[in-house]
This record gives sequence, C-alpha cells and structure tokens, in this order.
Amino acid sequence: MFAQAAPAPLAAEHLTVEKLPPKTPHWIYVFDASFDNEIDMRLRLFDGDTYRRLGQIDAGFMPGINLSPDGTQSVVATTYFARGSRGTRTDVVEFSDNTTLTPLGEIVLPNKRAMTAPNLFNVAYSEDGHFVYAAYITPAASFGVLDPANKKVLGEIDTAGCVLVIPSGPNRVSSLCESGRLLTVTLNPDGHESSRAMSEPFFDADADPVFVQGIASEHGYAFLSYLGEVHEIDLSGAQPVFAPVWPLVSPAEKGHWRLGGTQVGALHRALHRLYVPMHQGGEGSHKEGGTEIWVFDTRSHKRLARWAFQSAGLARILAVQVSQDPAPLLFAADSAANVAVIDALSGHVKHIEKHLGQTPWMMLNP
Amino acid sequence: MRSLDQLFEHSSRSLARRTSRRSLLAGLGQILTGAALLPLLPIDRSGRALAADAKPKAAGPESCDYWKYCAIDGFLCACCGGTSTSCPPGAAPSPITWIGTCHNPGDGRDYIVSYNDCCGKTSCGDCECNRNEREKPTYRPSRNNDLNWCMANADSNYHCSVSVILGVAEK
Repeated sequence: MFAQAAPAPLAAEHLTVEKLPPKTPHWIYVFDASFDNEIDMRLRLFDGDTYRRLGQIDAGFMPGINLSPDGTQSVVATTYFARGSRGTRTDVVEFSDNTTLTPLGEIVLPNKRAMTAPNLFNVAYSEDGHFVYAAYITPAASFGVLDPANKKVLGEIDTAGCVLVIPSGPNRVSSLCESGRLLTVTLNPDGHESSRAMSEPFFDADADPVFVQGIASEHGYAFLSYLGEVHEIDLSGAQPVFAPVWPLVSPAEKGHWRLGGTQVGALHRALHRLYVPMHQGGEGSHKEGGTEIWVFDTRSHKRLARWAFQSAGLARILAVQVSQDPAPLLFAADSAANVAVIDALSGHVKHIEKHLGQTPWMMLNP
Repeated sequence: MRSLDQLFEHSSRSLARRTSRRSLLAGLGQILTGAALLPLLPIDRSGRALAADAKPKAAGPESCDYWKYCAIDGFLCACCGGTSTSCPPGAAPSPITWIGTCHNPGDGRDYIVSYNDCCGKTSCGDCECNRNEREKPTYRPSRNNDLNWCMANADSNYHCSVSVILGVAEK
C-alpha cells in the first residue's frame, strides 16, 4: 500500500478591502427600509449584470436618500439616537463616495427632518450639485438649504404647509401642497429665498391624490395618481408647465385596476417607456404591490404590454426602477424582499435575487 | 443570517399584508349597503374575499383585521405589550397623531379614531399591519400614516401604533 501524496497546502491569505469595479448603467442602489428594526436602514449596491452584491451604505433611521447629479456621491439625510435606539437625537446629512462607499463628511441639521416613507424628495441635490435640500416636517413644513461643498446649513425656508423638496434647475425647489398646487421657491446664490410662486391646482387631494413618489422625466417629474392618472410636469422653466393628464387605465378598468406600492413607477427617458406595478383592488389599496407590471409609451399614451411575474416566483411588486441605457434592465422589488432583474424590452426575467435586504422599498440608478 | 423560521414568519406577514384588507372588505360588503361604500365594493366580489366571509368571529385587537385598525401602517402595540389603546411598558405615546374613520361591524357605526404611535424604543417588529382606508399622502399629514408620528417626542424612535376611539362619526 502506498499512501497517496498529500495535496500541497493552501497558500497563506492576505486580508484586503475589495475595490469597486467601474460602475455600469446596470448597477442599482436598493434602499432597504429594514422595517423590523428601523434604526438600521441601508442602501445596498447591486450589479444587475453579475448579480453580485457590491457593498452597502448605512442609512440610519427613516432616511431620505439620493444620488448626486454626476452619480459620484450618495446623500443620506438621517437621524441617530445617542444610545442606539434612544437618547439625544441628531439629524444629519451624510455624504458617501460612490467609488469607495466611504463617508465623505456630514452636515448636522436642526432636528426637523422629515421622517417618512422613501421617495426622491426627502433630500435632493440642485441640478448643478451646488445645493442640497432637506425636507423638514415637525409637522410644520419647511426645508433646509445646504452647501455640500462647505458642509454648511445655509438657511431654512417655510413652505406654508407644502411638503418635500422637488429640485429643478440650479436654484428652484418645488413642494406639493394639500390644495393640489405646486409651490416653487427660487433661491439666490446665497441659498436664501428670492421669490416664490404658487401654481394652479393640478390634482385633487380628495378625489384622486397623487403619490409623492415622483418619477424623473426628461424635463421634470411625472406624478401618478391613486386612480391611475399621469401628471407630467416640466420644471425646466421658471414656472412649472403641466402636460395634459392621461390615464393608465381604461374607463372600464378605472377604480378596479390600480397602481400601488412604495415606488410606483419607473421611466426610461430616451425610450419613453413607463413601467407601473398594477393590481386589482379598491380604495385604500394604494400600498398593495402589483401583480403585474404595465408598460406604457409616454408619447402615444398607449399600453404596450402587461407582464405578470408570479409564475417566475415573484410576490407582489412594491418598487420598480429601470436603467437608462439602450439595453435596459427593469428591476422589480417584491413584498418578499426579492429583486427581479428583467429585460426591460421583452419582460424576460433574467434573475431573481432572493432577500436583497429585509424590505427593499426604493431603488436608485447610478 | 436569517433562520428559516424568521423567513417563514416574514413571508407569512407579507401574506397577511396582502390579504388582510380583502378580509375586511369582505366583512364590510356583507354588512353594509350604504351608498358611500359603493366605491369599495368591486373588490368584494373576488373569490378570495368571499372565502374570507366564512371567518367564524370578528378579529380582535392583536389582528390587523380588527376594525379599528383600518389605516394603520406599522406594528400593533397590542402584540408588543400594550393594547389597542395603550403603549407597551416603557414606551411613550406621541402627542401628535393622524386621524381616520373606521367602521365597526359590531354596532354598525362609523367611528373617528386617532392613530397614535408609541415611541422611544426601536421597532417592535411583531404584528405588522398595513391598511390604508382613506389614507392620503404626506401633503395631507392629518390623514397620512407614512410619517413617523413620534417626530415631536423627546425620544422620537418609532415602536408601535394604537387606535383610540375619539367619537362616533356624524353621518
């Protein structure tokens, strides 16, 4: 009997810190609201081509999150308690380097930050990145104007009951009002108010409110209503311009088929394709996720497709996002914390990433 | 890493999150024929809603289907050491709140309820409940359940939610 030669021992290993590869249009920042332990929310960076989880940015308690216009930084407006779950409250805006996922600095806020469900308008950059705006709700409504370069609070602007910070241009901030109007405040170079204007009402908060989860469009944002109306707002000029409203549903479907979830639409701006999670339900079902994703052409207003994903293993779809490249990926996060990677042109499910966090409720493109 | 039990619990809660409202509407549809409720009724015709009619008794305060919880999005304090009208020991009630109207099938009345959050501890994590009847977005804060209503508390961490009757809603 000859003993087999033992394999060579494994070489000693070296502990290193992984470097991110160059970003691609198919990266996605998945916001995990960590609903069962809300002081520990986070952004997870996921690659829709390799299906790898690339890293994490911590986000604290009920944060606002956003990316800088050039995509190089993340901003998290959040709250910490001195003893973890209790103790002195500190509201703070934190910046991270998106090439290393390391903190770059912070701005301490007055303890007024809006603590609410995720949307693009809890914290937002101006178009040129010169200002950052932080929504305040105490429940009195206002917003902070911040200087991200010098890490300073420049001031606070009262919004007369209108809420959230919808940025446009280098120096305008719009807020949604209960009256269905849009308040737009224009800032001077110091970040102080130079003028304000109130629009005509563009929706009815009683009859058919719009979701605050606006969708970035070519010249502004689209807001979808509970009953499925599309309100496209051009914010490229000094005054908002409201396009004619168009419906996602036929008269027969209205009130029976509804959109719902936590991020209720995604738009491929160059292809003019709008993706909306839809379900059958009645009044009060606006947070129920979609059993289908409906695809629309925002120029013709025609529905192009209805895609159902239950057979692929998805639960109710709560959040959608689409990459902006010519071979786009549609990402769909469901109520079981799965994130599906879908060919946004064909509806083919390429991959389902199981349990990407605890409650993935919003996704951002790099 | 989550254990299988945790995953199962989570998916069960997710199922509850999706189905609880249908169960409630099934109950409402059976009892009420008021014109004001007609817009709610189409969903009642679904097979799942009809199946839910066979429930032997009304849901209690530890169930998301309990009538007073018709616009709670959070964790039920009744499952966390409190009741439908009291915070768990050591938690503090929020002085500010959002308001809703819920129908009590037990006496056929509509009640105005105050949804208060209980504050100062981290998320309870039990009995997640997500119902949104007549719930409105953040620009109507008094009807919004997405806001952390612990925001004005000294300890503004969110723990769980209660539903307190303020009075009968005038028709």
